[in-house]
Amino acid sequence: MDASFILIALALVMTLGSILIRLLNKKTLLFAFNCLMLILLLAGFAYFYYSGIGTPPELIVNTFAINPFSIFFGAMFTAGMLLVNMLAEKYSENYGDFAIISNFALLGMYVVSSSVSLITIFVGLELATLPAVFLILLSRGTIEAATKLFITAAIAIAILSFAIVLLYGASNSFALKSYSQSTIIAFAALLFVAALGFEASIFPFNVLIPDIYTGSSAYVTAMLGGVNKKVGFAALLQVLLLVFITNKELFLFVAVLSTLTMFYGNIVALLQNNTKRMLAYSSISQAGYILIGVAVASQAGITAAIFQIFSHMFIFIGMLGILAFLESKNRKEVNDLIGLSGENSLAAFSLSLFMLSLIGLPLTTGFVGKFLLFLSAINAGLIWLAVIGIINTAISVFYYVKAIMAMYANKEGARHLSMPLSLRFVVIICILITVIFGIYPGPLVNLASGAATYLIPK
Amino acid sequence: MLALFVLVPLIAAMLLMAVLKEHGHKKSKYIAAAGSLAAFAIALLASYGSYTYHWFSIASYTFNISILVAPLNFMLLLLVLLIGTVVIIYSWGYMKLPSEQRRFYFQIIAFEISMATFAISGNFITLFIAWEFLSLTSYLLIGFWYQKDSANRAARKALTMIFIGDLALLGSIVLFYNALGTLEFTQIISSVGSGASAGVDAATMLLLVAIFTKSAQVPFHEWLIDAMEGPTPVSAYLHSSTMVKAGVFAAILLFPIFQATNTLGIILLFGLVTALIATLCALKELHIKKVIAYSTIQELSIMFVAIGIGAPLAAIYFFFAQTFYKALLFFSAGNIMEATERDYLNDASGLTSNPLIYYTTLAGVLSLAGFIPFAGFFANEGISNAVSSNMNVYLIMSLISVLTSFYIFRWMFYPSRKPKADIADRYSTQPATMVLPMALLAALALLASAFFFMISDFISYGNYLPFLSGLSLQINIMDSAIFLVLITIGAGLSYMAYVAENIAGGPLLIRIRDMLYTNPLVNLFYRAVYGFTYEVAEAASILDTGISDVFDDVGLLTVYSGNAIKRLSVGSINLYALMVIVGILAMFAAFYLTVIV
Repeated sequence: MDASFILIALALVMTLGSILIRLLNKKTLLFAFNCLMLILLLAGFAYFYYSGIGTPPELIVNTFAINPFSIFFGAMFTAGMLLVNMLAEKYSENYGDFAIISNFALLGMYVVSSSVSLITIFVGLELATLPAVFLILLSRGTIEAATKLFITAAIAIAILSFAIVLLYGASNSFALKSYSQSTIIAFAALLFVAALGFEASIFPFNVLIPDIYTGSSAYVTAMLGGVNKKVGFAALLQVLLLVFITNKELFLFVAVLSTLTMFYGNIVALLQNNTKRMLAYSSISQAGYILIGVAVASQAGITAAIFQIFSHMFIFIGMLGILAFLESKNRKEVNDLIGLSGENSLAAFSLSLFMLSLIGLPLTTGFVGKFLLFLSAINAGLIWLAVIGIINTAISVFYYVKAIMAMYANKEGARHLSMPLSLRFVVIICILITVIFGIYPGPLVNLASGAATYLIPK
Repeated sequence: MLALFVLVPLIAAMLLMAVLKEHGHKKSKYIAAAGSLAAFAIALLASYGSYTYHWFSIASYTFNISILVAPLNFMLLLLVLLIGTVVIIYSWGYMKLPSEQRRFYFQIIAFEISMATFAISGNFITLFIAWEFLSLTSYLLIGFWYQKDSANRAARKALTMIFIGDLALLGSIVLFYNALGTLEFTQIISSVGSGASAGVDAATMLLLVAIFTKSAQVPFHEWLIDAMEGPTPVSAYLHSSTMVKAGVFAAILLFPIFQATNTLGIILLFGLVTALIATLCALKELHIKKVIAYSTIQELSIMFVAIGIGAPLAAIYFFFAQTFYKALLFFSAGNIMEATERDYLNDASGLTSNPLIYYTTLAGVLSLAGFIPFAGFFANEGISNAVSSNMNVYLIMSLISVLTSFYIFRWMFYPSRKPKADIADRYSTQPATMVLPMALLAALALLASAFFFMISDFISYGNYLPFLSGLSLQINIMDSAIFLVLITIGAGLSYMAYVAENIAGGPLLIRIRDMLYTNPLVNLFYRAVYGFTYEVAEAASILDTGISDVFDDVGLLTVYSGNAIKRLSVGSINLYALMVIVGILAMFAAFYLTVIV
């Protein structure tokens, strides 16, 4: 109980402290403070995990819960934001504002991952999503992208609140628990899927997402696609599994949405010439793969989905780190990747490794995640879904390999491009996580399976 | 588990090369050779057995890394490391540019590690990891000269083709696990016989796709021909003991699966068709390396024929024997192309001016054609004994052996013509490291024939793979005599057509020979054969033509639909709101129809 308050206090000190330090206008100090606080938070989560706090779930002021799920996702978001902060410090022109706003977003993420009611999920989601609008504007992103994000988020809010109202009307409760099924509640479930489908970039609620990604600076995209979308998944997992687990038809819908999302992401990604846009569609297709695990809704499926969420977050942040580097050299097209290996071997190697991991190269997290997803689908009798997943993986080979070939093609007169130290650090961390948990996935699988057990008891 | 330690010197060599400074690049060849040789020495000491290491588990699934060193695996492991060492030493002379040496030896050691891991893998997980890394490293080696567009294209083709196979393998593994509850080979082999389920059938078909792509069977064979763009030592390694052999090896190792699911007939059919097509293509081909590449495809398909007809031991011995003469012939091709600076047979000459190269090449050719006492003879004997029960197959195989003998002697007769002025000197000044390995391999191609009489005891030792016990290979004198006559006819025809132009019957043969290249009807036939296989390849895998063409080839439908979606997604916010509403309404409607009505 006391330990949980320390964590809340830390989060508050971080948000408020960053505002105060921002007034001093010292960028380095603010960055150091932010990193320190994020590392302390990570340490806090690690302490929780190792001292067994959260099993059984612990309530804080009847609003938040410390449980294996919230510890896993809280730690994951913290780590993701730490990496994004390092990118922002290097590439943002007003890091001070970025730090404050992103800290608020992180608070929202904590609220989502540790909520016990639909209301906290709602508040947390908005707290996590809306700051991103300002981040896009601050980062010299296009106004168009910011407006699109704002309006789509507003539509999602409207649908989400309507869904909550329907559920409340039928059951008089906001709690995240299983309700007796009725037609109203079943409709509410569909609305939840639609609203959270935007947050988690699921077809057809995601069609503006590539515009938003392309219109923002790469480090903001890293946060949007790497962290914010995962918050959407955290909310989706909780709502679908804690509230609607008895509604079997709903999970069939999720399977259909997963299929559509995978095909949409992969086929359109084939046609992209802009690297970031291609990665945006690739991340949509990855959301489709994650949904396979959600649709299976078994212990193994949810574990696989959580594993894949974790794996994709670090891969995406790592890739966008390289893209931020390329963007600063004004190289945005896939054709601009030509000869990258001659200019900076780390950039080419890491981007290739991340892409190969997304295809499913063994000994990387991408392989373990995909393998578990397909296996759980087949085991649950959804063989067709696994087959569609494999077909989609085959389609995705094309655009990834196209990019990899370009990077390793020969270019006359290539000059060496040096990569900033902090970026190198971020990329190497992402590579290590991708490879270490690919070779030795045991610990991560255990963590994910602990989080999954909270959602779907064995 | 000593077998696993063979990887240690190889990995150490890779690490050493990775930290080499710029001026130390010349050392990489010695590091690579030493690492490979040390691995071979350790492998010799390894003992049989199996070992399982728990990787991770999730819910009710357990994933292990398993090592299996049965005699069969042990044989492949030794071949991989031995040929690897020889290939590295050959490369000392072949790879002349200092700037590319480190990259080359690094990649070839990585390739060797993948294949060695493949050889001793004891379950599907380990096999898949090795399989995937084989794809990746072979891609790097095929595209080694990435400055050349053709090499780039070939590597890309190989990679896409093989990735499709990899995905098929992944699907097959998942299905096997689900149907049988285990991924260990020994357990699968023993449990698959008892009542195969639908899942196992589908898994087996996917496994066949994976095996056929890896072993370049029709319709997945195109990539192997294009792969000739890689450096010659790589071709030698790829075709003799690694990569393409992986598919056949998996088919032998998992033979009981195919037996239980009644898919041996499919293997036989694909083997026969591929063997015919590859032989016909080899007859017409003039590129020095591509002729041998087609002959590899043909040999692989002969192994599949043996497996398909239910004689895995014959396939194993063929597998073993083919290793030496195939590496030898590629080494020889490398020497010819280096010395004459020509890529095509009809431009090459002067092979006889270096006796060592000439006689070792002759040994390779005799072995490939199947003359006694070379290993090739015994390999073919094993096969023809196995197929003699089926008249049709036997006739096709006999036809193939005549044609094989014909085209492989043609392959040697062309470069053996009288040399132009300075070419003779160039042959005799070829570096010793490119010539001596040939002598070693020629000796092995001869000595390997003794193994014919031991293989049955060797393979069944310890009974790790029960289905291989109790099999044996025999020689049938009648069969041998017929076979020897057939290949002598093939060789004789080849001699008359390409060497002795003015003997009796010569003019007729010359006319036949010229017809092979100039007659429009023959050309039409070949276009049809090429075209047919190409079309089949296209139909079976639109991916064959490589990525850059995919937009034309994936099918207009996907592109149109993709364009339509693309237009939608760059549209306005109104459109987005509309899509959300339509999406929700569609869900409501579907829900209403499925649940309420």
